Amino acid sequence: MNIDDATAAANDRLADRDDMIVCVDVDKFYGDFQALKGVTATIKEGEVAVVCGPSGSGKSTWIRCINRLEVHQGGDIVVDGIELTNDLRNIEKIRSEVGMVFQQFNLFPHLTVLDNITLAPIWVRKKPRGEAESMARALLERVGIPEQAEKFPGQLSGGQQQRVAIARSLAMEPRVMLFDEPTSALDPEMIKEVLDVMKELAHSGITMMVVTHEMGFAREVADRIMFMEGGEIVEVGTPEHFFTNPTEDRTKLFLSQIL
Amino acid sequence: MQEEDPISVALKEEQVSPNEAPRLSVLQWFRTNLFSNWANAILTILGTLAAFLMLRGVLNFVFSENREWVAVRTNLRALMTLSYPESQYVRVWVALGFVVGLAGLSAGIWSNWGGLPLRRLATWFMGVGGLIALCVVVREPSVIIGTDGKVVRTIEGSPQRESFMDAMVDRSGWWIAAVILLAVGAVLWSRFSSPVRRRGPRAELSITSVVFVGIGLVILSLWVVPYGHYAFVDGTYIAESGTTVAFSTQMPWTVMWVILGLTFLVGRFLRSSRYVGMAKTGSNLLWLICPFALFWVVLRDPALDYGHVMSTDLPMGLAFGLLGGAVLWLLTRSDIGEIGRITATALLVFAVFNWVAAFFGWYPMLQKARISFLLLALAALLAPNFIGDTAKRRQLVLGWLGVMALVHYLATMINTPSTVDLQSDEFLGGLGLTLFVAVIVVILSFPLGVLLALGRTSKFPIFRMLSTSYIEVIRGVPLISVLIFFSVMVPLFLPDGMELAELAAVLTGYTLFSAAYLAENVRGGLQSITKGQYEAADAIGLTAAQRTGFIVLPQALTVSIPQLVGQVISSFKETSLLAIIGLFDFLRVANSVIPAQSEFMGVKREGILVVAMIYFFFNFIISKYSQRLERRVGLGER
Amino acid sequence: MATNSPPSIHHERPPLYRDVTVVKWVVQIVALLLTLGALWFLANQAGDNLRASNVPTDYDFLSVNPGIDLSSGIDTDPDTGGRALWVGMVNTLRMAVAGILVATILGVIVGLARLSNNWLLKKIGTVFVETLRNVPLLVQILFYGAVFASLDRVTADVGPINGWLHISNKGLSMPRAHIADGFYQWAVVLLIGLVVANFLRKRRIAQQDATGEETYPILSAFGLMVVVAIIGWFIHPIFGFIGNIFEALSSLVSSVPETVLQLVIGALCVGSSAYWIRGFLNSRRTPAGLAKLTDDDYFRMIFAAVGGVIGAVFFLVLWPGLSSWMINSASDLFEVLGNKFGNGRSGRPLDVDLPNIVQTGKFPNYGPSGLNFSIGFAAVFFGVVFYTAAFVAEIVRGGILAVPKGQTEAAASLGLRRSTALRRVIIPQALRVMLPPLGNQYLNLTKNTSLAIAVGYSDIVQVGQTVYNQTGKTLPVVSIWMFFYLSCSLSISVIVNFFNVRMKIVER
Repeated sequence: MNIDDATAAANDRLADRDDMIVCVDVDKFYGDFQALKGVTATIKEGEVAVVCGPSGSGKSTWIRCINRLEVHQGGDIVVDGIELTNDLRNIEKIRSEVGMVFQQFNLFPHLTVLDNITLAPIWVRKKPRGEAESMARALLERVGIPEQAEKFPGQLSGGQQQRVAIARSLAMEPRVMLFDEPTSALDPEMIKEVLDVMKELAHSGITMMVVTHEMGFAREVADRIMFMEGGEIVEVGTPEHFFTNPTEDRTKLFLSQIL
Repeated sequence: MQEEDPISVALKEEQVSPNEAPRLSVLQWFRTNLFSNWANAILTILGTLAAFLMLRGVLNFVFSENREWVAVRTNLRALMTLSYPESQYVRVWVALGFVVGLAGLSAGIWSNWGGLPLRRLATWFMGVGGLIALCVVVREPSVIIGTDGKVVRTIEGSPQRESFMDAMVDRSGWWIAAVILLAVGAVLWSRFSSPVRRRGPRAELSITSVVFVGIGLVILSLWVVPYGHYAFVDGTYIAESGTTVAFSTQMPWTVMWVILGLTFLVGRFLRSSRYVGMAKTGSNLLWLICPFALFWVVLRDPALDYGHVMSTDLPMGLAFGLLGGAVLWLLTRSDIGEIGRITATALLVFAVFNWVAAFFGWYPMLQKARISFLLLALAALLAPNFIGDTAKRRQLVLGWLGVMALVHYLATMINTPSTVDLQSDEFLGGLGLTLFVAVIVVILSFPLGVLLALGRTSKFPIFRMLSTSYIEVIRGVPLISVLIFFSVMVPLFLPDGMELAELAAVLTGYTLFSAAYLAENVRGGLQSITKGQYEAADAIGLTAAQRTGFIVLPQALTVSIPQLVGQVISSFKETSLLAIIGLFDFLRVANSVIPAQSEFMGVKREGILVVAMIYFFFNFIISKYSQRLERRVGLGER
Repeated sequence: MATNSPPSIHHERPPLYRDVTVVKWVVQIVALLLTLGALWFLANQAGDNLRASNVPTDYDFLSVNPGIDLSSGIDTDPDTGGRALWVGMVNTLRMAVAGILVATILGVIVGLARLSNNWLLKKIGTVFVETLRNVPLLVQILFYGAVFASLDRVTADVGPINGWLHISNKGLSMPRAHIADGFYQWAVVLLIGLVVANFLRKRRIAQQDATGEETYPILSAFGLMVVVAIIGWFIHPIFGFIGNIFEALSSLVSSVPETVLQLVIGALCVGSSAYWIRGFLNSRRTPAGLAKLTDDDYFRMIFAAVGGVIGAVFFLVLWPGLSSWMINSASDLFEVLGNKFGNGRSGRPLDVDLPNIVQTGKFPNYGPSGLNFSIGFAAVFFGVVFYTAAFVAEIVRGGILAVPKGQTEAAASLGLRRSTALRRVIIPQALRVMLPPLGNQYLNLTKNTSLAIAVGYSDIVQVGQTVYNQTGKTLPVVSIWMFFYLSCSLSISVIVNFFNVRMKIVER
């Protein structure tokens, strides 16, 4: 197996950083079906990790286990030194440190864009409303839609909605951002505007874990790419390694199908 | 996402887009809509015959010489408020005036009624005129009244009727009305029917002004038209024909009309001012509070013992308000940590323990104090949500003070005997009682229904099981059995020394029953919330309570508005069952009280028909309004 | 697979009060206990209060003569309280079944009228629906009652067809068909006929599928049924032997020892919880062996086990009388059946009686031989029929509107005739949508018959009220009401579900 070399190379680059997400032997079952088979991986602080793989390979399940939208049944998940267990306090802490962006945006349709973003800072972080709003406006500026603050999500295009969703997650000042196929539900012309925001985020140094099929994005900003199939991590490596010299047959097959 | 009930969707869509038919000439219209083919023509003829017979039957019933409508006219006040004392009747007017004023204010603040096209008004005029003319022709000729005031009869005993021509001449007043309406309608129609000749803004009247003027005309007629004056005054029967109604009826209604107009203008003014948000919240709160306040304070007029108020009620209310407020202020400190949860739990345990003690009679305590402790515990549980800056903490404490003021005020009022003395147990009856029960049931069953719906859709199996079995059992049995159960059995369930008046027991039964149905409606809305909304709320770190309150319920309730309005209508219809279990609502007045009066022995049908019309009026308006609302909400979604 | 060995994770179990699973289950169990406690407390309180006021809560009144007269029903002078309530139940069911039938027909007609392109019919339908559904049912019933009460009095020669059909302020009287002695044996013949007819229908369908010829399966099955019914009318006494079988069964059942049945019930409780746990474990089994069970799963299994044991203890220790009651009632049932099917009964299966008018005291009245409907019945009947029909009409209209227009067009493009398209394409789809709300309306109708109390028609609620006014046993009567209405609701929803499932299969 040649993965060792690739992983070692990636590790060298990130060696001096702290561990941000540590997964050890994570298992997840849906009835008879085992969705995750002993997934083990470590993501360092400030790292941008892209997870790819065919549909049904367990990548979404894995990323959703990390902030306990799904409950893993075996193994351990540690985020920023906090173990994800049945402990209510740990769950609260991890959720306020981990932001998540969904495929279907999942904005709250009955709240304005501004209220969508300020809801959690006000009620979870206990910030004064004025402070929360000025931060929300700054975030909207950052994602490029400052003029949409008073509108309702239903009045925005898909790309704009997804950028609001990113701003909503950032409003909690997370240390980790999880992206679950953020561009899959978008029309082609809107994908770029979302990817641009994500690239800007990636360069700002936040830890990111991205499930996506956007290989261009992966090549450009990923520190490491993980390929999953059948609930297992098949191959891990830097973008150069992954795109130019994949070792596993399954990876080659996958790449040949989507590139 | 749960698919919406396809039937209501289909009906809604048909309503939103009535297929705009092309304009046809009268002859073409008849051909396409009534005689398009042989079968259709036969159906039209049969339908005309059926409609003719129905109309004739109804008219002959209403205008029959055997009808005693005077029984209803005499007993109008009994139908409205039963035997509320004449000397204190001003209270009823004050209460009504308050509601009317609130209605005017809300109409002004929210008003978005749009306009009524003159063309439509013209059609209505012509329709009503035509209907009147039709009725005049269709109705059987009247019987002949002899000089002795009795009906002239033929030898076989059947009443003799005048000839058709005589009847037509007798009804010339109706003819004139019909012709005027038709003429006005025709003029309006010819001027505004075709879009080409339509002139700018005058083609529409604002609905609000039409309604206001219409009500004004009706009230004006009280001063002008000799309706006659029929009433029981101090137990004696007065019947004066040829005069207008009593001054004690004319004056209050005129005042109501003025109040309506003035408050509407105030509302309009507020709408354009910058206080509109506050005014909306304020009017909503007033609507919520007014049924309780009007019923127990204005109409019931408690005979307050001011010594007791000063020595006990006031200090207690203040103590709970201030001390409770202080506790809540402390509990919302940002560095409170675990102590907050522990304090809240301790308070809850103490509050529950108080109730247990009450049932076993361990130590005496005022009911008010028990309720207040329970409320305090609930507020303390909510407190962590308000940790943060001063504004938020102040919100919680002010809210608490408001709740305490209301609860203690009402508790004091309810516990004091009433100065309104009546023969029956309840001090109010008739339509007043019906409306009161309907409103209170809707207000009280709402939170319970929402809780049950949340329980039924909960992830926790035992909550689900409890709510489901409650809902299904209640929905499986008829309301009347629940009401009988509560009016007969509740006294048995209560411990010694605790009493619940009949009305309260029945209200409890109604509320518990209606909550089960309401829960099903809310459940429909809850199921329409996508899983993604829950996940997004979890992902940004909201607690379960916050997720429910901020994300899930607002959306679910919006979706289920049509069903909730439907539930309001059924609750209102079901108040008629009060008549069966021995409360004097207005159906009971019509069905038992009037027929028992010596002047109107056995006169039942007239009263019941009037009751039916009143129910129809309210329900029809609510359902039409709900359709409008639904269309607006539906359009908002798109 | 990873070279960087995973950092050693220091596991610690969270304190109980912060553990998600523990908190979740503790909260639920506390809620359950609180609810049960509150119910227990209320029941106790009611018991105390009842004892204090000397009103025992037993069901003795069911076998005591209540001394009441009922206004209508299969037995207007019942000799026991149970019989009286039974008459009330039959009256309720009679009203519900008749009401459902007529309301459906009327509702469908009005609903279709509202859909027709005839302007007049549409308007008449609209007025019908809007008026009737916005006026409370009780108001309508009282109004109809008041109108019927003003009809003419009964006289010895009251019409319209004296001796056959009588209408007056006492109500309606008409010929009555009723079950006679030989009915049960005849029913056996019909049952056999039904099986055979069904077999014939299936075979005909198979034939039609094979050859393509029209074989009229339904028609021929129906014809066979008619023939069997006629033959059975004469030969039914030969099935008298069935009575002996039932009698044998009766003595067999009564010889079962109580303890055996008791143990069986206990074993059933424990067994069913064990079965559930086994099924649960099976559902957690994966190809790779048993999945790791979460705390939640353990809680569920413990809950099931405790429930099973509590059930067993309840039946074995706290309520041992159940088994003897079950044995006795089963044996009684078989004995009654044996009697009904017995050799001694060989008369005609059905019989018809004409109505008559008798002179009771000063006034003439309807005699018992005809089928009499009081004005109470008529008032309630018209009330529930009109009221429900208005709702049914809206359901029918909505159901048909819910079928997309494309379906009609698609059917037409296949060259189907309009009637065939309606029968095979539109109506099946509309029915599928209409069934659940229709079921709801039927349920409402059944519950609404309880308003009969307002006009004195002897339905279960009215009879029950009379009974508890006489005996003071409110709680038992109320419990019988609840039981009765819940079983009605349950059976209607079972029936509707059955059709619903069938519709869904048809759809695929």
